[in-house]
Amino acid sequence: MGSRAVSRVALWIAIIAALCARANCDSVTLTQGVSVRLEPAAKLSVPAVLPLLGAGATFSPFSGSLTVSYRLRTSPAGAGAITLQAASDFAPAGGPSIAAGALTYTCAGSTLGTACTGQESVATGAQSPVLAVPGGACTGGGGACSAANPNTTTVSFTLENDSSARTGNYAAQITFVVSAI
Amino acid sequence: MNFRRLLITILLAGAVAALAQPQARAQSFGPSGTTTLSVVVGPEAAIQINTSTSSLTASGSTFTNDFTGTTAFTYKVRTTKTGGTGNIGVQVTSDFSPGSGPSVASPPSTGDTLSYTCTVTSPGTGCTGSQNASTTASTSVATFGADAHSAKAGNTGSVSWDLTNDPKYGTGTYTATVTFTISAT
Repeated sequence: MGSRAVSRVALWIAIIAALCARANCDSVTLTQGVSVRLEPAAKLSVPAVLPLLGAGATFSPFSGSLTVSYRLRTSPAGAGAITLQAASDFAPAGGPSIAAGALTYTCAGSTLGTACTGQESVATGAQSPVLAVPGGACTGGGGACSAANPNTTTVSFTLENDSSARTGNYAAQITFVVSAI
Repeated sequence: MNFRRLLITILLAGAVAALAQPQARAQSFGPSGTTTLSVVVGPEAAIQINTSTSSLTASGSTFTNDFTGTTAFTYKVRTTKTGGTGNIGVQVTSDFSPGSGPSVASPPSTGDTLSYTCTVTSPGTGCTGSQNASTTASTSVATFGADAHSAKAGNTGSVSWDLTNDPKYGTGTYTATVTFTISAT
């Protein structure tokens, strides 16, 4: 920096000091300690509708897959889970029946936690596992947390194509629940 | 077109393209989420032949009894609730061979036939009386009405064959192929 530049900076400092003195201004430095307590938390999102489609061959099962998106934080000694349950059986009557064990699913590809293994049955009166998350897990940001945000896992449903079911359009509701402690 | 107009055009095209994208169907995040599984169950039909080779044999005195045998099958069917129909048919898709024996298409004697009767469990209705098999057309084994649906494991049926025992047949072993077809609407 040349002498002319130094002089220019000094001049500005003098001007600001003079203005400050005229305005009777003051300058105080405060240090504020901030702490935050992050509680376990979890939330998820699923598609509103999943069509189950036949594979083409006669009486081959109907199937469809959906992605469960979730954000989750567990305490170091805690755990998290995603489960599903049939909130309502297929309606109207005369078609497929979840209560009769016609609907099964498999899980795959979770970006945080461990997806269920093998084939699971959907029940109307009980929750079935989709995902288990260990303690000290969290979504996003990398490092100790997952790189993905939100995290995702895939659930593939298979509905038995029972010839005793009557023709028609049928719908059932599946509720996914996420929890973290 | 100057640069500004080109830029506006590109931006408008991008906006239109964005609006044309299908709506994201995922719901907002929450402690739970509900998916509606939808399925369209349509008419279908399938048949399984349980007797892969039906041997036709004659018993008793010479030429007094025809050659007879049975083919068993299991079928699955689902017809439309209103106006649906279905049927099982059979056709001789390969006539008896080698030559000099029985023939469906060209019998050595007038009146020689490969005929059959049907036994079909509900919801099917088996053919009535004796039917003559044909090489040129499918003939009826069973019919289904609207809103017919078989058991989960399927329902059973059978065809009892009767082949004329004509002295004109040369001795030997003869084989023919018959094809069962099931359909549903």
